[in-house]
Amino acid sequence: MRALLAASKQPVVVNVWGSWCAPCRSEAPLLRAAHADAGDDVRFVGVAVRDSQGPAREFIDEYGLGGFEHYFDRPSRVPADLGGRGVPITFFFAAGGELVETHNGIIDERTLALQIDELLAR
Amino acid sequence: MEFTLLWAALVAAIAFYGVVRWEARRGNAADCSRDVWDTGIAAALAGLVAGRLAAMILAGTNPLTRPGDILVVRGGVDTVWASIGALAAFAVLARRELARLADAAAAAALAGLAGWHAGCLFRDACLGTPSDLPWAYALPGSDITRHPVELYAAALFVIAAFAALVARRRFPPPGVLGGVALAAAAAVRLATEPLRPALGTSLPAWYAAGVLAGLAAAAIAFKFRALISDKLQEPDYGT
Repeated sequence: MRALLAASKQPVVVNVWGSWCAPCRSEAPLLRAAHADAGDDVRFVGVAVRDSQGPAREFIDEYGLGGFEHYFDRPSRVPADLGGRGVPITFFFAAGGELVETHNGIIDERTLALQIDELLAR
Repeated sequence: MEFTLLWAALVAAIAFYGVVRWEARRGNAADCSRDVWDTGIAAALAGLVAGRLAAMILAGTNPLTRPGDILVVRGGVDTVWASIGALAAFAVLARRELARLADAAAAAALAGLAGWHAGCLFRDACLGTPSDLPWAYALPGSDITRHPVELYAAALFVIAAFAALVARRRFPPPGVLGGVALAAAAAVRLATEPLRPALGTSLPAWYAAGVLAGLAAAAIAFKFRALISDKLQEPDYGT
């Protein structure tokens, strides 16, 4: 993940989720809307943690998140490496991999829009 | 679990209760069988449930198959349906005393909304679109200064609440103040909405509809003031 972030020429939003996580279901439509709104300028990456492939794929289909890149991280190593704890969690990285913001817990529309605006203004 | 929304709700409730008490001490109580505080809080809770259910359904989550998700309030409450739900619950609870109770709750509700928006200070969620104005400030670690849009909204709601308090002392026809307060609340949101970052929202159209609905309610109350006043001569104390 670190290599992906460092190589990215676009800002990256990394959302850590699980199909078993109720708050993740609540924020999934917001992430889909954000991707539709800013997906040309910002790269969206989902990381499914402590999950199984089947339910994770169903979650992606159910909430229309197929437009993102998704990675499967059963032992939850990626969020730990990025410095976050818990699920859901959303990281905002500038182009080149600089961490701009970590949002622990459910993200709301205003916060998501504001942080994306911050990334694009850099 | 994040509890900062609860702090904002607490500030709103304290502001609402404070104005209700202030009005009562001034001898300007509702003079209704229903209590303004009870009705207001019940309406707010009904609005919260309506808004949460609407947010879930609009997001594609079935509340019947995932009832536990209803409690994840932080996951989103649809503003429009929450407002409609709260107003409908208020009307149902107030019944034939709606005009008088709406007038009595007007200033308190506007003060509560001021408290809710000022509660952004607990949530670090006051900022909106970029601005170079002297009072604009930036997120921690950022050099992009922004409008403190939620504080603008709070200030406008305080002004509206104060105006409602003053207007009530002039004894407008029953229902007029309630209608104007609804229009004012929607107007404040409509005025500040362009300064909020959003993900392709249609809220301004709904707020404009709210302004029109409030003004229409006030106009109807004024037009039929004699009829409404006659009906209010005998308060229904539920006996």
